[in-house]
Amino acid sequence: MRFDKMWQRLYRGIVLGCVFLGDASLRADRIGEMDSISYGGQFLRFFSMEDPLLRTVLLGSLCLGLCCGLLGSFIVVRKLSLVGDALSHAVLPGVAIGFIVAGEKDPVAIFIGATVAGLLGTVLVSLIKNTTHIKEDSSLGMVLAGFYGVGVVLITMIQKTSVGNKAGLDKFLFGQAAALTDKEVGVMAIVAFVSLLVVVVFYKQLLVGSFDAAYSKALGLPTRFFHYLLMLLLAFSVVISLQAVGAVLVSAMLIIPASSAYLLTDRMHRMLILACLFGMITGAFGAFLSYMGPNLATGPLMVLAASSVFVVCFFFSPKHGIISRWLRFRRRANRVRSENSLKAIYQVRESLGFKGEGVLLSDLGDRMRESAKEVKSRVDALVRYDLADLKVHDDSCEVYLTPEGWVRACAVVRNHRLWELYLTKQAEFEPDHVHDDAEVIEHILGEDTVRELERLLDFPTRDPHGKLIPSLTDLQRTLTYASSKGEEASGYSMPKG
Amino acid sequence: MAAIPLETHDLTVVYNKKPALYGIDIEVPEGKLVGIIGPNGAGKSTLIKAIMGIVPATSGWVKIYDKPFKKNAKRVGYVPQRESVDWDFPVSVMDLVLMGRYGKMGLFGRAKKEDREIARECLDKVGMLPFADRQISNLSGGQQQRVFLARALAQESDIYLMDEPFVGVDAATESAIIKILHELRDKGKTILVVHHDLPTAKRYFDMLLLLNMRVVAFGPTSEVFNYDLLQKTYGGRLTILSEVADAIR
Amino acid sequence: MSGMNEFLNNIPEFDFEEVFVIPWSEFGDSFIWIFLMGFFVTATCGMLGSFIVWRRMALVGDAISHSVLPGIVIAFLVTQSRDTMPMFIGALSAGVLTTVLIEFIHSRSRVKTDAALGIVFTTLFAIGVVLVSIYGENVDLDTDCVLYGEIEYVSEDTQVASGPLAGVPLQVARMGLVAVAVLLLMIVFYRQLLVCSFDPGMAQSMGVSPAVVHHGLMILLSIAVVSAFEAVGAVLVISMLIFPATTASMLSDRMPVIMGLTVLIAALTSFFGMHLALWLDVSTAGAMSVVVSFWFGLAWVFSPRRGLLARVMKKKVDLFAEQN
Repeated sequence: MRFDKMWQRLYRGIVLGCVFLGDASLRADRIGEMDSISYGGQFLRFFSMEDPLLRTVLLGSLCLGLCCGLLGSFIVVRKLSLVGDALSHAVLPGVAIGFIVAGEKDPVAIFIGATVAGLLGTVLVSLIKNTTHIKEDSSLGMVLAGFYGVGVVLITMIQKTSVGNKAGLDKFLFGQAAALTDKEVGVMAIVAFVSLLVVVVFYKQLLVGSFDAAYSKALGLPTRFFHYLLMLLLAFSVVISLQAVGAVLVSAMLIIPASSAYLLTDRMHRMLILACLFGMITGAFGAFLSYMGPNLATGPLMVLAASSVFVVCFFFSPKHGIISRWLRFRRRANRVRSENSLKAIYQVRESLGFKGEGVLLSDLGDRMRESAKEVKSRVDALVRYDLADLKVHDDSCEVYLTPEGWVRACAVVRNHRLWELYLTKQAEFEPDHVHDDAEVIEHILGEDTVRELERLLDFPTRDPHGKLIPSLTDLQRTLTYASSKGEEASGYSMPKG
Repeated sequence: MAAIPLETHDLTVVYNKKPALYGIDIEVPEGKLVGIIGPNGAGKSTLIKAIMGIVPATSGWVKIYDKPFKKNAKRVGYVPQRESVDWDFPVSVMDLVLMGRYGKMGLFGRAKKEDREIARECLDKVGMLPFADRQISNLSGGQQQRVFLARALAQESDIYLMDEPFVGVDAATESAIIKILHELRDKGKTILVVHHDLPTAKRYFDMLLLLNMRVVAFGPTSEVFNYDLLQKTYGGRLTILSEVADAIR
Repeated sequence: MSGMNEFLNNIPEFDFEEVFVIPWSEFGDSFIWIFLMGFFVTATCGMLGSFIVWRRMALVGDAISHSVLPGIVIAFLVTQSRDTMPMFIGALSAGVLTTVLIEFIHSRSRVKTDAALGIVFTTLFAIGVVLVSIYGENVDLDTDCVLYGEIEYVSEDTQVASGPLAGVPLQVARMGLVAVAVLLLMIVFYRQLLVCSFDPGMAQSMGVSPAVVHHGLMILLSIAVVSAFEAVGAVLVISMLIFPATTASMLSDRMPVIMGLTVLIAALTSFFGMHLALWLDVSTAGAMSVVVSFWFGLAWVFSPRRGLLARVMKKKVDLFAEQN
């Protein structure tokens, strides 16, 4: 349900965004003339797609974000994040060699060179792993650092040549989206399209291979083929991201949007969609920020945009965010606490034979072995939840349960005693060993389970210690009695044996 | 004469220069529930994986209904060990069971209504239908095992290979699983189960494969479940032997 | 292919005299410092690396080497100087922050350790790079230095004014001190390190706290990384951390021997790396990284017991034995 809402909101956001962009493009001429330096104006100018140069940059960042989100999701769920990191460094010598062979900054040559280097790197990792005692993390680190070192040497050599010093190959380290050319964006768009197509068409093979490769083999699927296909696509997306993000930080664009998505949803297809969206948004936003300042590399800015999204998801994700988890935990802890208070009140009344209507706080304190202050705070909590009322006399305080409070108290006591009985009768526990278990389970048992237990135990009336078990009919009678007599009658009913 | 469901010849697996399985020659007849038992490190799981080619065999061959595994993979259902996967993986119970249908969908196929119907039936059979939309990490150990079983059932195979399906599950799940296995067997399916609990092994299985890198004995439970053969399988380990003595009594 | 030709033509001819002799005979007093700096960096990282690699923390080393950057830059910005102490403190806090954040993300959410590592260090590194590019002029640091280091300029650094080390460039003196300190700590706490890396449970029962040893190692690592940072840059530190240790472990099983070998490898790496850079006229740190990976390549192929050749030979012998 929550997700449906989320999707709705997302959709509305996209529609609004489109309207906004459309409107902006109508007014773009004027903005261009105004030479505005205001952030809003620059923002419109950047995202309006009017200026062909900026359009190239924006489209490139969007393709990059799409690819990284898509492939990043797979490597995050397969716990291959650091393979992505190694791969992104390993492509560097390929970039240099592609450049050397083509003699210029030709996107296709660089693309081929980098892909070959990246794949060579991954092959070397598994070769080292298979032929030596060296562990995977070290072999990843070696490939990462060794290839990167070779890349650095080659790039410094190229920069000494006549074409090389103008080529801006050092931009491949931290990325400069502004340097993207139409041809490069063309390659990026093709890669994005192919990746999307492969993932959509072979979704099931990729899914089962990522979840459990052995099972995929057992199904007779070409598991190894799809693994390498995924690695190839991963290399592709690293390579197309180099110009804009840079070799050093590509892995961040793979890992961070996907991890943010992983915190938001429990379904792979939704994770893929969210990761792509996050990748595209943060990619475009990072490119925009770098466009704002003349001296700013794009890569780090995209990464920071992505990290901000991650931080938000980490704290506020409805399901897995730590704040929402903390709230859920608090709510549960509060419920357990007030149920324990209710139970104690019940037990005090029981020990008095259900005579009298209220329970003295001092009696409650004796029962729970807590100080007057602690008991007072417990009762205050019950009053806040409308489960009890407090009457203050001159020298003492009395607590009265509301009808709802009384029903809840009976229910907890019933759960506890039913479970004790179940453990002694069905699971053959000793009666003096069942209390602790029941203390926990009494807060968890649902109504259906209780019905089941009652049927199983043949509608018992007494627990293993000989105490009465409040039954369902008792509870209902309390409620009808209370509602017919009004609030006054609350807490008077007594469970019958 | 009908083809033999599962046949291995001289199946040998070597891990890091150490043999894990050595010269396994077995013929499993149709419609039997077979338990594979042996001490830790005896290669029980390896045998199952080698049959399906998950672990490459160093020598020997496997035939499923007279054909190599790859040709007949559709006739084999598999229940891996529960610990072998990441239960935080973002899929629902239903998605997981549908994976059992993937082998039959073809290269470009997608899950059709029929596949979903089968998956629902299988989930119902193991009592997990109410959980179909849950994420798989929100399941208890026993529930996870039931879902794995449902996935194997969804494969609609003739042979089932199960790796320790009773580890870490509650008593209710264990008896539910064994009931389903007996039903399958009565329908003529062949089932191999890796098992480590000797006392129950005698009750559960029609045939036993006693394994300790080699086949110590393979035959009807009544014939092979005896002190001498078990001692041969488990070596001289005292604790196990007293357990064996209890089990035989 | 024209580009290829131009590139090849641009590679200077190898002249032994020019590459190996003249630097020492004529510029000896500056090259000795480059050599020593490279040696100290590689030896320190190598010794630490032997434990890091063994404990499967190679990628934690990678993470820390990246994430000290913002610490260093912030220290620069706050103190407006390149003093040693603020830099160490900044880098140490960044290093500690990295390990704490990784643990925090990993334990408080479903994100796995590897992804948490990737998220934390790239984010911190990105912060560092952005700070460098915004305040670059103020802090006398640029992104090139972050990537390649500036070991070439080590001899132009301010020299130690007085004391026994007078005349030694400050960076070299500092790195030398760190190297000696790391060596001494390794010798003194050798047994604790060994037992904690081998069997943490047993260490606990012997009264050695694995957590303390772990964090101690992390702190040492941060110190080593920050002192190596200016010389070799953020990314190439990882070469020095992993390669000597893995190369040595191809050749021996015994920890003391491995650590000794890493020091030898460090000397060879620094020497040949420097001369390779001289010949090709490229980044010295990059050349050292290439050389150190070359040693690993050699060991991988030719190691007498574990190398690829030895494996092939052994297989043949086995086959031969089987046939007979």
